[in-house]
Amino acid sequence: MTITTNLAPKNGETEFSRRPATSNLETALTLMAGAGLSIFGFVRRGWLGAVTGSGGAYLLYCGIADLRRPFQGSVRVGFTINKSPQEVYEFVREIENWSKNLRAMSFKQEHGGLAIRFGDGEGAALTSRVEVTDEKPADYIAWASDARIIEHRGVVHFKKAPGDRGTELSVAMEYKAPTGPISRSLARMAGLDPEQLVREGLRHIKQLMEAGEAPTTAGQPVGARGVKGTAERVAFREHPVVEPQPQRLAGD
Amino acid sequence: MKALCWQGKTKLEVEQVNDPVILNPRDGIVRITRTAICGSDLHLYDGYIPSMEPGDILGHEFMGEVVETGSEVKRIKKGDRVVIPFTIACGQCYFCKHELWSACDNTNPNAWMAEKLYGYSGSGLFGYSHMLGGYAGGQAQFARVPFIDVGALKIENGMPDEQVLFLSDIFPTGYMAAENCDLKPGDVVAIWGCGPVGQFTIRSAFLLGAERVIAIDRFHERLTMARDAGADIINYAETGDLVEELKWMTGGRGPDACIDAVGLEAHGNSIAAMYDYAKQRIKMSFDRPTVLRQAIQACRKGGVVSIPGVYGGMLDKIPFGAAFGKGLIFKMGQTQMHKYTERLLKHIQQGDIDPSFVITHRFPLDKAPEAYRIFRDKQDECIKVVLDPWQEAKAA
Repeated sequence: MTITTNLAPKNGETEFSRRPATSNLETALTLMAGAGLSIFGFVRRGWLGAVTGSGGAYLLYCGIADLRRPFQGSVRVGFTINKSPQEVYEFVREIENWSKNLRAMSFKQEHGGLAIRFGDGEGAALTSRVEVTDEKPADYIAWASDARIIEHRGVVHFKKAPGDRGTELSVAMEYKAPTGPISRSLARMAGLDPEQLVREGLRHIKQLMEAGEAPTTAGQPVGARGVKGTAERVAFREHPVVEPQPQRLAGD
Repeated sequence: MKALCWQGKTKLEVEQVNDPVILNPRDGIVRITRTAICGSDLHLYDGYIPSMEPGDILGHEFMGEVVETGSEVKRIKKGDRVVIPFTIACGQCYFCKHELWSACDNTNPNAWMAEKLYGYSGSGLFGYSHMLGGYAGGQAQFARVPFIDVGALKIENGMPDEQVLFLSDIFPTGYMAAENCDLKPGDVVAIWGCGPVGQFTIRSAFLLGAERVIAIDRFHERLTMARDAGADIINYAETGDLVEELKWMTGGRGPDACIDAVGLEAHGNSIAAMYDYAKQRIKMSFDRPTVLRQAIQACRKGGVVSIPGVYGGMLDKIPFGAAFGKGLIFKMGQTQMHKYTERLLKHIQQGDIDPSFVITHRFPLDKAPEAYRIFRDKQDECIKVVLDPWQEAKAA
């Protein structure tokens, strides 16, 4: 059985896997920064020199390696959900359920496809148009995006788990974005790491299907945070996953 | 409301914070009438548990009256008197359905952090670091309790708070530690640590049919309390080789089960204990597994090592060869609270045990920072501290 996940021929483009990973601009920037740091390190010498020198050498390596790398990355994530494959399939197939639960992404049905917007509403955002390329109810859904900035494709599988444990819901996808090591780190810091996005998305589907709600602490009382605490809060990415809906103060 | 907030290592403050609100449909809000300081809170106080943030509200042993329930709460009603287990469970996932409540899949909002460290995440806990949920704790005047229908234990017949409060953690924890030993008639159990959990472990071991319990500590008042329960006692500070002593006391066989009710801040008088202490001081380790080593060494062949004491990270110099060579069985982990609360409430109602025996100190919430220090340093023969969140502190 072959599952189709290629939209490129339909759009008159090249194969999904043949395009270079990074844009020319970022490759140039990476190589320049790498060369600059390496030279600084060589001239400076000492401990600081060694550190900046090796950082520069790493960037040079990344820049060269990214020149013709066919794929940026892949994600494989699975969760077991205590519901039947048919129930999980129906929940996942309903795009509304994704819109509500994937952080930093929004979805819109468009003629024959689905527009995904990455970014949480303010500032920079990327859009990507997705089509379901192949599907078998309660078994799998395959998708591919068009060849715009972020290109991705993959398969969602619904497999009956052994021992009456429900369904193994898994996503295997590959993606390509015009990013080198610098943008990759920036994206990760902004919470746009594809692996994290997919994993937490699936986790929330599991939580909603099993427990009826996604656990949260957003909106609970807290004492004075201080500078360190605020910084850690950002690092721990404690954004509300579901918007808190305060009802009223206890004891009123 | 008033709440006890963690502001850094050994730095606690009682602050005015917002009242908790219902955030999810299965939440409830409890007006706390009694709360306690747990031995594991001291690991937070001393800064050994990672992912604490300044401002976090501490406390995971609490009970009170339900004042608010979310739209999906059915079993629990406003006005119910409830004891809240310290682990939060959804009641619907594979683990909850198999009585592994503290392994619940769906209650830790920061599961990814625990997954990075442990591979998989357990359930969320109240007031016990962000890695384990980041939930605001119960050393406060109110607390929000997620999945209140699943966890809360209703107290219906007017039993005093202090008799049932410890169903929130230490009584079930001590009981599970003893139950994990799979005790048979004639069994001898050695228990390291006669703190609050150790005391409940001793009594639970007798409830479950142990022939003899040997309790190990170095504080006179704790050993006296253990002896009152019927245990034989060893003051390890006055004993040479503890393992040899246990061998001597058990006819050369060794205890059938060894229970480590101490965990990561163990003390000892051996070279190994000094090594652990030094390593923890220079931050090369979170844990001092001094007791665990002794328990493995002392346990009889084919015996059980049961570990209710908390460990956090990588343990060093564990005699795994001894464990393998003797074919030991290890049982451990956060207590499967929801499995025990009803059963142990019955024991209390039948008069088999009155858990309030362990309380030595009572303070208003305002005095909590001082209470932590007294409890940590075992000053004034302190064994267990109970806090009243509503009592006004008397002017000094």
